[in-house]
Amino acid sequence: MVHIHDDDVQSDGFCINDHLDLLIEVLKRLDGRSLGAAACVCRQWCAIARNDSLWEHLCFRHVSPQPVGVRPVVSALGGYRRLYMVCVRPVLSRLKRRRIGSESEVVRRVWSQHEVELSLSLFCVEYYERLLVGGGRVAGDSPASSLKFLCMPVNV
Amino acid sequence: MGPYDSSISPAAGSSNSSSSACSSSTKPPPPDQMDHLLAGAGYKVRSNDLNQVAERLQHLETVMVKSSPVDISELVNDAVYYNPTDLVSWVDSLLTELNTNVTVPEPVPVNTDLSDLHQFPSDMNVYGSNHAPEMHGEFSQQAVTPLEEDISIRLVHVLMTCAEAVQRGDLPLASLLIDDLQALLGRVNSGCGIGKVGSFFVDALSQRVVNSPQNGVVQVELSAYENEILYHHYYEACPYLKFAHFTANQAILEAFDGQDCVHVIDFNLMQGLQWPALIQALALRPGGQPLLRLTGIGPPSNDGRDSLREIGLKLAELARSVNVRFAFRGVAASRLDDVKPWMLQVSPKEAVAVNSIMQLHKLLGPGGPHGPPIDLVLDWIRDLNPRILMVVEQESNHNQPEFLDRFTESLYYYSTMFDSLDACTAQPEKSLSELYIQREICNVVCCEGSARVERHEPLVRWRGRLTSAGFAPLHLGSNAFKQARMLLTLFSAEGYSVEENEGCLTLGWHSRSLIAASAWQSIPKPSPATTGG
Repeated sequence: MVHIHDDDVQSDGFCINDHLDLLIEVLKRLDGRSLGAAACVCRQWCAIARNDSLWEHLCFRHVSPQPVGVRPVVSALGGYRRLYMVCVRPVLSRLKRRRIGSESEVVRRVWSQHEVELSLSLFCVEYYERLLVGGGRVAGDSPASSLKFLCMPVNV
Repeated sequence: MGPYDSSISPAAGSSNSSSSACSSSTKPPPPDQMDHLLAGAGYKVRSNDLNQVAERLQHLETVMVKSSPVDISELVNDAVYYNPTDLVSWVDSLLTELNTNVTVPEPVPVNTDLSDLHQFPSDMNVYGSNHAPEMHGEFSQQAVTPLEEDISIRLVHVLMTCAEAVQRGDLPLASLLIDDLQALLGRVNSGCGIGKVGSFFVDALSQRVVNSPQNGVVQVELSAYENEILYHHYYEACPYLKFAHFTANQAILEAFDGQDCVHVIDFNLMQGLQWPALIQALALRPGGQPLLRLTGIGPPSNDGRDSLREIGLKLAELARSVNVRFAFRGVAASRLDDVKPWMLQVSPKEAVAVNSIMQLHKLLGPGGPHGPPIDLVLDWIRDLNPRILMVVEQESNHNQPEFLDRFTESLYYYSTMFDSLDACTAQPEKSLSELYIQREICNVVCCEGSARVERHEPLVRWRGRLTSAGFAPLHLGSNAFKQARMLLTLFSAEGYSVEENEGCLTLGWHSRSLIAASAWQSIPKPSPATTGG
């Protein structure tokens, strides 16, 4: 795919894939959906987008104050990417939907300490349920049963 | 949905026959044709006559209103005995007399038994025109416009009459009413609302009537595995257990602040769903992680698995992943009062938390030789000197001595709970949760004595009980409240509400509290060695 533009690349002199640190800086600022889309671009981008620190940034970049010491716990329970998919994204969207009338842009919203704690607790319960069911390693991306309620549509 | 807002309620205490002074003008019709609801009130009316009676009463009202006061006052002059329980002929005779304007016989005072209705409004009296309009209103609704709402109201009325017949010991009437109930259930939507919860109550009542009305039935025991499945689905379908767990964990976390050795005693481990969140919160505790000991009490496994140990292993695995030092101990006991304090191996240096999620009410049954089980258990809990005793209980009074009171209260309570469950659409979570709740209903309605373990009592009674047992209330802080409120916003239904009540939190559906969480600490017993002066 890249070969078609070889001449252009050589003449322009810039390809983002040669500057991965820049790529990561850009990806850090994306929202979840765009980050997921970026992972579908090519294998290299997929490998980079799966880097858990990007998702850590996504989960907690709008948390004030920044949570301390969370990383080993989250990594042990399945990683930030899973935390985002299974807890953070549904929680944010559900909380956003409840705030009818106020500014509700999901990305810019600042998390409170309580919301962080609640998400982490739910994540931990979910990990435990997978332990109960499967025993041993975590499999698949869909959440275990106790978080199903988060995925159900809101009955407004 | 208000089950009790009708002015007509079935009578208590009166039998089918009228006062002995009156002669009946018609032969009693075959029993299966009489309206049983009115029979419970002392009236004999055939079901197919109801329409006619309604119309006649309407007509009677019109005539009486139109008549001059002089004509009506003539009604009170002469006394002729009529049988008011035979509504059809009573109404007819009143109508003919008013129409012909002759001195009208006054209807004789009704059977005085009916005046014993302490629980029902006094306008149940048969005299006078103030009664007729209300009665006719009810009839015209039921006879002329059979909307589903009216069938639901009738369903509730018949349920109450049947329960009260069971309490009286009137089994034939109760059986007939159960047949009526089955017929009514066929006419309402049994997928939701009163139809669904009504069907559970009808089942429970019929089990009781058929098997053993006085002594109650013994519920079939489920295996530990089946119990776990039902519990798990109940955990997932509605927020009550989650609320209980999260609130308890928050309170325990706050009580353990600054402690390095902590010991949690769980009165009903089940699958240990409460503890991962606490372990994770302790892992992230700002002051550093303590050593956590967990003692889980549960029923002995009857299917060969050592479920307590398995759960302990899983929790230990989780604790290891997040780097929390953890030790687990399982105590198998079929009843809480079988547990002795030495089994828990509490060390004096550690901070103890006792966690009871809907377990203490099971101890309110008849006591053994050593006294009421609840007092024994509260006593040894106090001896452990816990920093916190967490009590979560159903907020309802299902432990009243009279069957009818229990039945009424539980009908209201479980109707509300089923309303809230309607919002859940996930299957099989919803059906299995309903099964879980159905077992509770069955226990409250069918069982007696030591078999009846679901003896729920409201928060005010628990407060009194715990205070007199030597515990002081701990206020659940604003953190717990905020967390509970946030948890509820994540649920899709909008009807849940969390309220704070003198330091305790209650979760309810619309205006009805369904579950209450409170925290307590033990007041150390005064030492036997007196301080001298």
